[in-house]
Amino acid sequence: MFYHSIIQQFNQPMWQPFWLTFRLAAITTVVLLLIGVPLAGWLALSRFRLKPLVEAVVSLPLVLPPSVLGFYLLVALSPVQGPGRWLADTLGVRLLFSFEGLVLGSVLYSLPFMVHPVQAGLENLPPSWREAAYTLGRSRTDVLWRVLLPNAKPALLTGIVLTFAHTIGEFGLVLMIGGNLPGQTRVASIAIYDAVESMQYDTAHVYSALLLAISLAILLLVYTVNRRFRL
Amino acid sequence: MNQVPVRHIARQMFTFRTVGLSLFLPLAFSLFVSAQPLRVAVAANAQFVMEPLRAAFQQQTGIGIEPVTGSSGKLTAQIQQGAPFDVFLSADMEFPNALFQNNLTLGAPVLYAYGTLVLWTGPSRGRPIQLGELPGESVRRIAIANAANAPYGEAALAVLHHYKLYEKVQAKLVFAESIGQVNQYIQTGAADVGFTAKSVVLAPGNRHRGYWRQMPVESHRPIAQGAVVLARTGRPAEARRFLLFLKTPTARLILLRYGYRLP
Repeated sequence: MFYHSIIQQFNQPMWQPFWLTFRLAAITTVVLLLIGVPLAGWLALSRFRLKPLVEAVVSLPLVLPPSVLGFYLLVALSPVQGPGRWLADTLGVRLLFSFEGLVLGSVLYSLPFMVHPVQAGLENLPPSWREAAYTLGRSRTDVLWRVLLPNAKPALLTGIVLTFAHTIGEFGLVLMIGGNLPGQTRVASIAIYDAVESMQYDTAHVYSALLLAISLAILLLVYTVNRRFRL
Repeated sequence: MNQVPVRHIARQMFTFRTVGLSLFLPLAFSLFVSAQPLRVAVAANAQFVMEPLRAAFQQQTGIGIEPVTGSSGKLTAQIQQGAPFDVFLSADMEFPNALFQNNLTLGAPVLYAYGTLVLWTGPSRGRPIQLGELPGESVRRIAIANAANAPYGEAALAVLHHYKLYEKVQAKLVFAESIGQVNQYIQTGAADVGFTAKSVVLAPGNRHRGYWRQMPVESHRPIAQGAVVLARTGRPAEARRFLLFLKTPTARLILLRYGYRLP
């Protein structure tokens, strides 16, 4: 009963954008762990002609204006044409203006924030460890999962935390493909914009201060953890 | 050199995820248990009148409303891309008519009010700026909604042309993406004055936020505002009820109080 009333308190519409933001950031981080770590490992351990191209494509979301990504996703996921139409007609799935669509957008948008730290962390480990493992007959996968990653924990943590924090800060992309739907796509950054546009400045102040505090806390965590491991 | 198997990291991460999910799941569940309110796309001019309308509608019918505000043009574009709204309250008849022509609505748009344009000055001036002062030196920036997306912006341009002011003030115009952004420009001082909707300046929270002058009705085409039920709605009966509600004396009184003229 007590637990239920706490849930009620936090379920007020005012806090919905924050739960939504955290859910989005958490799910995006998990997905990017599954996709990004193997990708980072592959990039760290491989050498091939097209590697600069792959790395450039992975880094694109760092440089591209979010509205470009948003625009292309809007075109791709639109239910009246192309892949979006196939998704809607065949699978009954509409990704535009939905939480799932935001997850897709966030995964693309935050990809470099997972891949870069992990790749850098792996590349900075002494190559002799890798080579020793190879001479002992270990495969590349084994080397990645049993030798390198366990020793690149700070890099992994940095990747997780940066991905999480970066997704919290997403705005332009969500503005274009989100639709500002309360409880579904009205994340904290959009809620602030919405509050300012409807002249609810006190709400905007509360939301902004909270986001600022959380972002600062996350960054403090990253820097503290990295300092401890550098001993 | 510590060879900690990835199993350990995986277990730590799994624990984090379990803790995280077990915090989120009850929240997510409780969101599902409550009934889904009607999602109404509202043109920004009506965002403030929407609040008493919503309250009255809920009191009368028990149906909740979740308004989503934006410029008429942007909301129309989103609806064309399949945005899940039940009802659309536009600031004109053209946008809902376009949706009707494309079979995106249940029925033709219904005229629910005529909008009124005002010139709004921020509180620092102490008095409303008059139309005739716009070309003068004391006015540096004039906020106007983008006419392509916002019918009130189109009406504002018509007013400027009607009084032969357009050429003199053209360089000072600042285009906002919606009435909402016009209001924001005026309130933050980014613009000295702007053209907004009367329902904005009459909203209880906004009366002390500046000074306004109503624009003469004959200086622009009537801002005929249309409402329509969207084909994508999962609740056509309730959506239609809201449209009917807009014609009731209760709703009309609220609209009048907020400065709209009635059909």
